[in-house]
Amino acid sequence: MALLELKNISKNFGMLRALDQISLNVEQGDVLGIVGPNGSGKTTLINVISGYYQATQGTIRLDGKDICGLRPDRIAARGIARTFQSNVIYDSATVIESMLVSAYLQYKTSNWQAFFGTRAYRDEHERIVGRVLDILRLLDLFNDTFIPGEKLSYGYQRMLGIAIALSADPKILMLDEPTTGMNHQEAMFVVENIKKIREQGVTIIIIEHNMRVVANLATNVVVLNFGTKIAEGEPHMVMNNREVIEAYLGTETFSSN
Amino acid sequence: MTSHIDWRNTLPKIVACIIVVPALLVPLFTNNPASLSIVILSGIWAVVAMGFTLILWTGQFSLGQSAFMAIGGYTSAILTAHLDWPFWPSFLAAGLVSGIVACAVGAVVLRVGGFYFSIITLALGEIVRIIAMQWQSVTRGTRGLVTYPPETISLGFINIDFTASTVPWYYFMIVLVAFSGLIYWRIGKSRIGGTFFSVAANPMLAEHQGIHLMKYRVIAFTVAGVFTGLAGSFYGHFLSAMTPYTLGIQESIQVMIMSIVGGISSLVAGPIVGSVVLYNLSQFLQRLNLEGIHPVVFGGAIVCILLFLPKGTGLVDLWTKFWKRVYGEVDFYELPEDMEKDIEVH
Repeated sequence: MALLELKNISKNFGMLRALDQISLNVEQGDVLGIVGPNGSGKTTLINVISGYYQATQGTIRLDGKDICGLRPDRIAARGIARTFQSNVIYDSATVIESMLVSAYLQYKTSNWQAFFGTRAYRDEHERIVGRVLDILRLLDLFNDTFIPGEKLSYGYQRMLGIAIALSADPKILMLDEPTTGMNHQEAMFVVENIKKIREQGVTIIIIEHNMRVVANLATNVVVLNFGTKIAEGEPHMVMNNREVIEAYLGTETFSSN
Repeated sequence: MTSHIDWRNTLPKIVACIIVVPALLVPLFTNNPASLSIVILSGIWAVVAMGFTLILWTGQFSLGQSAFMAIGGYTSAILTAHLDWPFWPSFLAAGLVSGIVACAVGAVVLRVGGFYFSIITLALGEIVRIIAMQWQSVTRGTRGLVTYPPETISLGFINIDFTASTVPWYYFMIVLVAFSGLIYWRIGKSRIGGTFFSVAANPMLAEHQGIHLMKYRVIAFTVAGVFTGLAGSFYGHFLSAMTPYTLGIQESIQVMIMSIVGGISSLVAGPIVGSVVLYNLSQFLQRLNLEGIHPVVFGGAIVCILLFLPKGTGLVDLWTKFWKRVYGEVDFYELPEDMEKDIEVH
């Protein structure tokens, strides 16, 4: 049984069929790459999995349990976290404040215990601060701990978005175009960080246009076009698939040598 | 010797105490019921404004806080007048009932959120007022309910008699403001305060981090409802009568202005400063002989204050700015030279 199973997921927006009978499986420890031209439904698929949109048809199973139709916060509690294409962060809060507020799911103590500042809460809080700082260290944000999110450079803001998603301690991390707007060096830096995250045991789903990133990271690739899955398989096989190449592979084509 | 004291952190607190402590001693300076009443009512509006600010901290504008004052006021008035309850249980019941109504209304109305929520809260104030006017059998409609002061409290040889002078009311107000302030302050500083911030700053992100948006919006609305109900009960008993006329849209908007002018970044000090300044200003203008144009002057004064303040800040932020000017801002981007060489620059 796969960690995440999607069966015949469809999503309609009125007359527009944004997703058409998408089925895929993600195993524990995989890195699933989702590629395809703009408008092919990649972000819509992530939105449906994360609960932000409700699927019109189909089922989603996490660890065998149905999660279709749950609110995003319930799905996050089950262990799925995501980043946003437009890079959503808390602008006015400092990095550490954003992280602590986003580590909401890690706290097991109740709001009452936090209000009264009980020993149990304080101990747990200290542990969580430690874990959050570890995430910041892992993603090279440690030097910026007290800097407001809006003052970080673009690349580090994107890392902060990933760090925020990680602070929920997810089983599955879904990254929506994490290297947009980055040059090759910055993109490879992000790739290294994602590899570190994967080493921590997190299963990753990544939407990307940059084929070098996909080739470097993905164990499996799924190609979408106009809301349907047109190919699936290992990266080098998918990239050389005629239909995929014809459908517009993205900003760069990768040629193996 | 004084070099061991952290002046940067302690001096503002010392100055704040020097300003606040005389407030506790006001009755020593004046026994005039009218002057004391003005200060007492500023305190009551401060408590209501704190509620407004808390709701604002979850990203919602409630224009109906006067409704909860009315609910609280009428609850304790009805309990004391019709059911012969003593004051103190009625006072607590007022807070409880107001909180329950806030929870029930909030659970439904906060779903729509934003602009529509604000309009509905505005309507809520009117609904409560109309119920108060129409439900003659309970509220005596436009004639209102007569409310009595709390019973005399006997502590050994001291008798705290609320009918004898306004001074006991003054200290009752101080206790209410201090208690509410303490609770609100603690809420703001604790984890739940951070959760409120995230719900307001970026609901979509907060939701994906596992935060149930409605739960926190309703919590804030309910807490505000409880304390506003207590304030309303105080208000009704202090003014010796509870009528449908005293709490309406105008009061709700007044509370919003007090919160904003005081500073929305502060949950306790902002509303207190805002309500003390504005309520005293409005009473002062009413007592000058301005031939009835005092509302214009008052409105003009508010506009001037808001134009003068930097965008998004309130009077309380002037305090923080002042201390930053005195001590300089701690800038995390620039380290002292001797530290820079130890840290890797990226």
